[in-house]
Amino acid sequence: MSTSIQKAIELILSADPELLNILSTTAKVCLTSSILALIIGVPLGILFGAERFPGRRVLLVLNRTLIGMPPVVCGLLFYMLFSGVGPFRHLKLLFTVKLMIIAQVVLITPIIIGVMETFVADTAPALRETTRGLGFGRMKEYRLLVNECLYSIFSAYLLSFARAIAEVGAVAMVGGAIAWKTNVMTTAIMMYTNRGSFTLGIALGLILLTLSLLVNVVLSLMQGRLSR
Amino acid sequence: MKTKSFSKTYGKRRVLELPELELPEGQITAVIGPNGSGKSTFAKVLAGIEQPDEKKPILSGVSVGYLPQKSFPFRMTTEKNILTNGTDHTRAAELMKILSIDALAKQSAKKLSGGETARMALCRILMSRYDLLILDEPTTAMDMESTLAAEQLIRETSHETDCAALLITHSISQARRIADRVLVLQRGELVEQGATEAVLSAPSKEETRRFLDFYGL
Repeated sequence: MSTSIQKAIELILSADPELLNILSTTAKVCLTSSILALIIGVPLGILFGAERFPGRRVLLVLNRTLIGMPPVVCGLLFYMLFSGVGPFRHLKLLFTVKLMIIAQVVLITPIIIGVMETFVADTAPALRETTRGLGFGRMKEYRLLVNECLYSIFSAYLLSFARAIAEVGAVAMVGGAIAWKTNVMTTAIMMYTNRGSFTLGIALGLILLTLSLLVNVVLSLMQGRLSR
Repeated sequence: MKTKSFSKTYGKRRVLELPELELPEGQITAVIGPNGSGKSTFAKVLAGIEQPDEKKPILSGVSVGYLPQKSFPFRMTTEKNILTNGTDHTRAAELMKILSIDALAKQSAKKLSGGETARMALCRILMSRYDLLILDEPTTAMDMESTLAAEQLIRETSHETDCAALLITHSISQARRIADRVLVLQRGELVEQGATEAVLSAPSKEETRRFLDFYGL
């Protein structure tokens, strides 16, 4: 075990090309999907939390169901849609980074919507009573509401990025874990472990944990500033 | 100014039924009554926060400012909170000085105490001019010194800007100190109205007398 860890550290320090490729693919998939999910999820979460409209409850139940959706089910769904017999086969997206990103967006957007909706539903009534009492218009009311939400937006992003970077089921199914193309850290760890090549697996595991730690530290510091 | 008669029902329970009311400009009208008498609902309907059963505004062509019981501090400094309702920095500084929160100007409003938040909220609503200013228990969280300063400020604002002020209060002594007129509500109905001293010293209705007796007046 200790020899494997030592070799893993040597591999990281030697900037192994395959390792760098896996890292860059992981960064591309996780950052793109989490940012896209944020762009889609934040306005929807605020809307669900702040407004009351017909069908809102149904959409919330649907969103909560999607939060609990197993990644492999999401992967299976996309696999069926984009495989050689699926309705979207002509797009030729199966086993591409693009489809991995789309699958990740579908998996993590409900998390962002859920976090935002919970916070906004709790905050909006009191804020609205005050802003309407002051005679502010809807635009100003929403600007102030978004300003209240900054802390929650970072929390939601933190959660979604953590899910994206740790996710394996969906990206393995739609990406196929193809070396030098669609292999991300989690699928690579699984692949190398299956092959009995523990060194690269441990190296990737160490990087994954360090990255996760770094992202959490940075975002926690930002959250601290925003909560003031 | 005159409000239209209106009622307000929650579910099957009618909580408020009021006739036309006169709210004179440049004067403070206090609304007093026990818990559950409909004072805050009256304020919310008047401010347009809640809809009356009639689904029509009970005031028209009138700008209304409403300070809720628990005003929301926005996630920014005390000074910026106040300046969300106007751009006059001199006026903001003057208001903060009068209510002794000038030292807290650059502090996050989220970190203010209950009394400080109430003073910030009062400064914020007084940054703009309204035809009708509705204040729902604005001094409840304040200490006596701040309460007296706030009352003085409300009185001056009402008189100087010629706005009608409606003060919802639990405190009979506060009504006596600053209100020109008093409305007494009980169980969602108007029991009595008139000049403050006349109503409080010699109430004409038995319900008002019982309510004032309860408060030891």
